[in-house]
Amino acid sequence: MGPTRVGRTLGALAGLCVAVGLYLGLVAAPPDATQGEVQRIMYLHVPSILTAYAAFTATFVASALYLWRRDARADAVAVSSAEVGVVFTGIALATGSIWGKSTWGVWWTWDARLTLTAILFTIYVGYLMLRAFAEEPQAAARYGAVLAILGFFDIPLNHLAVQWWRTLHQPSSLIRPGGPSIDPALLVPLLVNLAGLLLLCGYYVVERTRLEQMRQRAMALRLMRGRRG
Amino acid sequence: MAVAEVMRRTWAMTWKDVRVELRARERMNAMLFFAALILFIFNFALGPDLSKLREAAPGLLWLAFLFTGMLGLGRSFQAERENGCFEELLLTPGDRESLYFGKLAGNILFMVMAEALILPLFAILYNLEIWSALPGLFVVALLGTVGFSTIGTLLAAMTAHLRAREVMLPLLLFPLTVPVILGSVKATEALLSGAGLAGAGHWVKLLGGFDVVFLVVCPLAFEFVLEE
Amino acid sequence: MGSWGFIGLAYGVAAAALVGYLFSLRGRLRDAGAALSALEGEGGRKKS
Repeated sequence: MGPTRVGRTLGALAGLCVAVGLYLGLVAAPPDATQGEVQRIMYLHVPSILTAYAAFTATFVASALYLWRRDARADAVAVSSAEVGVVFTGIALATGSIWGKSTWGVWWTWDARLTLTAILFTIYVGYLMLRAFAEEPQAAARYGAVLAILGFFDIPLNHLAVQWWRTLHQPSSLIRPGGPSIDPALLVPLLVNLAGLLLLCGYYVVERTRLEQMRQRAMALRLMRGRRG
Repeated sequence: MAVAEVMRRTWAMTWKDVRVELRARERMNAMLFFAALILFIFNFALGPDLSKLREAAPGLLWLAFLFTGMLGLGRSFQAERENGCFEELLLTPGDRESLYFGKLAGNILFMVMAEALILPLFAILYNLEIWSALPGLFVVALLGTVGFSTIGTLLAAMTAHLRAREVMLPLLLFPLTVPVILGSVKATEALLSGAGLAGAGHWVKLLGGFDVVFLVVCPLAFEFVLEE
Repeated sequence: MGSWGFIGLAYGVAAAALVGYLFSLRGRLRDAGAALSALEGEGGRKKS
């Protein structure tokens, strides 16, 4: 059983969009006045963190749906979007650190953006581990769903806390997306890269959900066989 | 009458935990010993320079509170797990919320008791003048403890059955309670530097907001944790 | 490391992660597909 039509379309669109985005970000866009060429990393870093948030929002919605309806498909989407979200958060973390090294000379600073990304990463890695360690699939799905819901309410509070922590004691060294006012020349490459990564994320989630559903089906079959035999 | 019933069940749960603890004193002993250990090690680590210790004081205090609290949380469902009482808990008729609040109240109680002993020890060992900040410290400690315990109690129930539960509880708990950690430490810092509760204003509000959100979300979620 | 060195590093890490994940996904899908066909083959008709 191969990828569905939706999956294939998403994949193709994603590939196209990412390719265009790469060209725009690496070649067409002008270098920054202060940072120079390294500002191009932004076209990768900002879309990946935004995509991660989109994925984790899907995790929250799917988790709530699962607790409400107990639909296995919802659970499949939840674990899939969380896994893909972790991948994109990892990319955001790595690119953020590399960007930081190129502009401030250090691999890590406890600025709001990096700190929040690291916390987000830890929360959802914890989610995946919680599911992996649960004794049985229903418990894994339930516990995961509860954790995803906790996370959803927690993340805005985290943002508040970390941002207050950084901006009340030090002048803000945050690099905001594109700078305080987004230059239109930078906006288009940013949006195209964002679209590309979102499409790619969608493709990954669709495929990973397909995998999860296959596993669910296999488990159900084994259970049935076990009962008969 | 429903409210009275909920409160009665909550209290019954809390009282059970307190009685168990009073008999064996396992949890409190472990918590206090651990806290004392932390305070001593910090002193060795930061050296004889008292000014360095004073600067780090708010963070150190909360490190002691939080790690000690973690220890207590880790044990809060231990009795149920060891004696197979989880099933009994599930069979008790009625709402899960009162079970949650009962456990929560017990955890808050133990953590506050530990804090009440750690704080004076801390002040003495590090020569801190905390007397004037005491009312404010009490408020902040309570708000922080409540916040930490709401999520902590829920996660303790979830991880009670898990493999590697001793690692999973801190791994899950600490990233989620960053607002509590930051809020408590920063508020304590403001208090110890003489700014009073007003100076810690926004942090206190953050703590309060956090507590309100999770005092609502966690009991509702507890329902789903205790199933089956 | 020059500017383009950092850019290359960042994009390289991202590409490695994304491609690596894709391969891992494909591999797991293949394995699950094989396992499922085996299970279903026992019971009834095979799915294409």
